Amino acid sequence: MSSPTESNNFFNEFLDDYFAECEEHLAVVRRELLALESCMNQPQIEGSILNELFRSFHSIKGLSAMVGVREAEKLAHQMESYLRSLRDGQISLKPEGFDALMSGTQILERAIGAYRTKEDPPDIDEIISQLEACNPPVVAKTPTAAITPFEVKLKPEEKKRLEALVSEGKQIWHFVFTPSTELSKQGIGVNAIREQLQAIGELIYVSPRLNANQKILFDFILATQEAENHDLGSELKYLTGEPYQIPSPVSEANSGSSNLKVEPPREPEAPATAEAPGEVEAIGTVVNRTESERKESEERTETAPAPAEVLETSEAETSNNISPAKSTSPLISGSNLVRVDLPKLDELMRMVGELVITRARLEENLKNLPPSFPAARRRTLQEINLTLERQLRDLRQGVMQVRLVPIAEIFARMQFVVRDLMRLTGKQVALEISGAETEIDKFVVERMMDPLLHLVRNAVSHGIELTEERLKAGKSAMGAIALRASTAGEMVIIEIEDDGQGVDIYRVLKRAKQQGLLSDSVSETNDPDNYDSQTILDLLCSSGFSTKEEADLASGRGVGMAIVKNTVQELGGCVKFTTKKGKGSHFIIDLPLTLAITDALIVEVSGQTFAIPESSIQEVLSVEHKGIIRLEDQEIISYRGHVFPLRYLARLFNCVVTTDESEKLTIVVIGNSVNSTGLVVNRILGLREIVVRPLTDPFLQSPGIAGATELGDGRVVLILDVSTLISSKIPKIIKPQQFINSG
Amino acid sequence: MNKSADTSQPFILFELDHTTYGIPSDMVQQMEMVEQITPVPNSPSFVVGVVFSRGQVIPAIDLRVRFGFGKIAYTLRSRLIVINTNERTVGLIVDTAREFVSIPAQTIQPSPEGISSLSGKYLAGIATLGERVILILNVSELLVLPELVSERSP
Amino acid sequence: MRRILVVDDSATMRKMVMASLRDVKDVAFSEAGNGLEAIEQLEIAPFDLMILDLNMPDMHGLEVLRFVLNHPQYRETPIVILTTKGDDESRTEAIAAGAACYLTKPFHPKSLSGEIVNLLSEPCWSNVH
Repeated sequence: MSSPTESNNFFNEFLDDYFAECEEHLAVVRRELLALESCMNQPQIEGSILNELFRSFHSIKGLSAMVGVREAEKLAHQMESYLRSLRDGQISLKPEGFDALMSGTQILERAIGAYRTKEDPPDIDEIISQLEACNPPVVAKTPTAAITPFEVKLKPEEKKRLEALVSEGKQIWHFVFTPSTELSKQGIGVNAIREQLQAIGELIYVSPRLNANQKILFDFILATQEAENHDLGSELKYLTGEPYQIPSPVSEANSGSSNLKVEPPREPEAPATAEAPGEVEAIGTVVNRTESERKESEERTETAPAPAEVLETSEAETSNNISPAKSTSPLISGSNLVRVDLPKLDELMRMVGELVITRARLEENLKNLPPSFPAARRRTLQEINLTLERQLRDLRQGVMQVRLVPIAEIFARMQFVVRDLMRLTGKQVALEISGAETEIDKFVVERMMDPLLHLVRNAVSHGIELTEERLKAGKSAMGAIALRASTAGEMVIIEIEDDGQGVDIYRVLKRAKQQGLLSDSVSETNDPDNYDSQTILDLLCSSGFSTKEEADLASGRGVGMAIVKNTVQELGGCVKFTTKKGKGSHFIIDLPLTLAITDALIVEVSGQTFAIPESSIQEVLSVEHKGIIRLEDQEIISYRGHVFPLRYLARLFNCVVTTDESEKLTIVVIGNSVNSTGLVVNRILGLREIVVRPLTDPFLQSPGIAGATELGDGRVVLILDVSTLISSKIPKIIKPQQFINSG
Repeated sequence: MNKSADTSQPFILFELDHTTYGIPSDMVQQMEMVEQITPVPNSPSFVVGVVFSRGQVIPAIDLRVRFGFGKIAYTLRSRLIVINTNERTVGLIVDTAREFVSIPAQTIQPSPEGISSLSGKYLAGIATLGERVILILNVSELLVLPELVSERSP
Repeated sequence: MRRILVVDDSATMRKMVMASLRDVKDVAFSEAGNGLEAIEQLEIAPFDLMILDLNMPDMHGLEVLRFVLNHPQYRETPIVILTTKGDDESRTEAIAAGAACYLTKPFHPKSLSGEIVNLLSEPCWSNVH
C-alpha cells in the first residue's frame, strides 16, 4: 500500500472541484442549520433537515479524505456522527448541541479555506470534544439500521404522510416511467421526470422496478393539490399514471405490518402473464425498507400474483406545460444542475449586450430610410426589428435568469455572523429575515457579501446596546435586526434595520465642522434635523472619519462604510441611510437587478454626450430663465409645489456653460419624491437602451460618473451617477419656508 | 560568457519627444490609432479620457503629460498602446510606436542615481543597442495613483 | 471496449475515480449521480462493471446493488463498492449481497485500477468468494 500522501498528490488536480463542491455542501449546511434553528423548539424536527445535514458532512468527509485535508475529514466525520445519532432518534437536539453544530461548521469552513490559502489549519480538538460530549458513546447498532432508500422518510411517522395528505384533501397519483435510449437522447431521464413531478406536487415515493419483460420501470407516488383534479395521468408526457387509492386498514392488518399495498398501475405493453416470483424486486409497495420487512415484501410478492393488465394509454400529445410551482420536496437531487464559471456568464451577457447595440443601430438606420423607400417593405423591416427587439429582451431575460441566485445565501451567512458576535459580546439579538428568496445577480452577490456582512457586524457590535443599557432605556432586552430583500421593478432593495442606539448626529456634525467638511455659512445651525441622513452618510464615509480613533464617534461605522458605499455605487446602486439617536439605524440599499443593460436618457452638455439612467429620472422640464430663484449661491426652482436645487452639469464637469440666457432651460429632474435635483443640460438627444460598462480602473474614479456605455459608434459615453449628483459634498440646508415661491 | 547573457526579452519600442522607450511586449495587448477619446471629468491630468478596447472601457494616459513634457496634438502617427498588468488594463498614448526588438538582458543597466526628473522615476533601466539608447519603462510605477484629488468641490 | 458505470453522488468523486482509471485500456465510462440514474443506465447504456458508492441520498447503494444483481442480464456483473470508514456493517452486507470487492475512501488510484483490471480480465466472474 503506498503512502497516503502519494495518492493525495494524485488527486491534487481536483482541488478546484473539491473546493467548489465543499462550498456547495456548506451552503446546504448553512441553509439547513437555519431551518433547524427555527424548528428546534418543536417536538418533532423535520427529518429531512437532519438528513440533509448528515449527507452534507458525509460528503465533505469523503472528499476531504481523498484530497488529504485531514482536519476537515476528522471534523466532518465528527459532525456526521453526531447528526447520524440525531437523525436516528438516539439523542435529541439541545441548545448546546446546536451551538456545537454552528461552530463546527465555521471551523470546518476555515479548515477547508486554510488548505486553499496554504495557511495553518485551525485547531479542531476543542470542537471535537464538544461534539463528542453531545454524542452518546457508540451504541451497538442493530442490523436493521437504515440501509434503506429514503432513510429518514421511512420513519413510522412518515409512512402516515400519505394518510395525512389525503385527509388534507390532496390528490394522490401513481405514475410509471419507462426509460429508453431514445428518450435519453432527448434528455428525458428519470431525474428530469422526478424534477417535473416535484414541481407539481410532493413526491412521497420513488422506486425502480423490473417488470415481467425484464424492462426497468420507475414508480412515483405523488400528492398534488386537490385543485389539480383533472386527469393528470393523461397530461404528463412520457408517463403513464392514474389516481392512487390507499388501501383500507383491513388489508394492512392482514399483511401483518403497516405496509401500504399498491396495485401496480396499468403498464404500457404487458401480456397477461403472471410475473414470476423472485424476479420482481418490488411491486410498487410502499414499505419501510428495514431488513425484516423487505424480506416480508419479497415473500408477499411470491404469493400474490400481480395482475398485469393491458393498459389504455392515452398518449399525451398535449403540449401542456405544467408550470413549475416552487418545490418543497426534500427529494430534490442536485444532479440536474450545471456548474458554470461566472466569467462564462459574463461573456454571455457581454455578447447579448453587443446584440442590443447592433439592433439599436439597425433601428436608427431604419428610421433614416429615405421616403422613397417602398412603404410596405419599410413596414416589414420595422416589424422584423420589433420582433428582434422582443426576442433580444427574452434572451436577455433568459441569461439574466441564469445568473440569478436567491439572496438567501448571504442572509444565511449573516445568521452566522450574528450568532458569533452575540456570543462574543454577550448581547442579545433577534435576527428577522424576510425576502430571502429574492433573487439577485450572482456577481452582485459576490461583491455585496462583504459590505453587507460589514453592516450587520456593525449593527450588532455598535448598534445594539448591551442588555442592561437597553433595559435602562426602556427598550426590550432583546435587540432586533431586520434583514429584508425585495424587488421593485428593475431594482433589488436590501434593508438592514436595527433598533439600537443609532448614530449621534450631533457629534458627527461637530466633528465634521472641526474637520472643515462643512461650509461655514451652514455651521451656524446646530440642529441635526436640518441635515438629511444622506449627508450624514456621506460625512461618515468621507476621509475625516476613517481613522481608527474616530471610529467610535460614528459607532464604529467608519472605514468600512466607505467601502459599502463605493461598492454599491460601483454596482450602479445607491445607499440610503436614516438614523435616530437612541432609536436605531436603517440602511436601504438599492441595486440594479441587471448589471448590464438599462434604459437611459441621452443628453448633451456643452458639446459632450452623457447618459442618465432612466430609472432615476422623475421628469424632464423646459423652464424659462425667469422661473429660477437664486438663493445665496444656489439656484432653485419651484415646480408643482416641489422645490429643488439646480445643478449645471457643465459646471460640475468643468466645462463651459453654454446655455443661453434667452432660451429656455432644459432640466432633467432626478431623484425621488424626498430628494430631487434638477440637472441643467443643453439638449435631450433621446431615450435608449444602453449596455452599462463599469469603470473599474482606479484612475477613473470620478464623482458623478457611474460607468460608461457605447452608443454604436465606438465612442464612449459616460453614465452619470445620479446619487452623487443629488447629495452635495458640501451639505446645504434647504428649508422650504425660507424662500418665496414665485409661482 | 555567462549564462545570463543568453536571456533576452522582446520589447515594443515607442517614441516620446524623440526619445525611444521600451516596454516588455508580453504586457502589450494591442496597439491602436488614437481616436475617439471621451474625457472624464475630475480625473488626473494625465488621463486624457477613456476609450473602448475589446469590450472594456479603459483609461487613456498621455505619457507626455505623465512625464511632464508638453502635450501636443495627436497625429496619424500617434499610437495608443494597450497594456495589461496586475489586473489593470490601460492605454498609453505615445508619439509613434512601430518597433519590436529583442533586448538582451546584459545590455540593460539600472538607471543612474542622478536622474531626479519626473521621467526618471518611471524608468526601470537603460538599454544600449549598438548606438541606440532605449529607456526601459517601469510600468507599475507609471500606474501608481497620484495624491488623491481633494474631495471638496471648488 | 468495455463500459464502466461510476455511481457516486459527488461529481468530484466521480471525476477522481475516472482519473484513477485513466491508464486502463479499452474502457469507456458512464456516470450516475444517484441510484435511480444508475438503474436507468441498465436500460439505456448497458455496462460491464459498476463502481458504486454506498451512501447516496434517496437510494442506498445496497438497494442499487441488489436491483442490479437481480436483473437477469446483470447477474454476473462485477460491482466494486466504495465505502467510507465507519460503514463496516454495510460493507459486510454488500459482500454478502454479491459485491465483487470493496474499497474504502481514501483509496490509492493504483489499488482501484489494479482491481478493475483484474475484474475486467476475468472471462466469467462468479459471485462465489
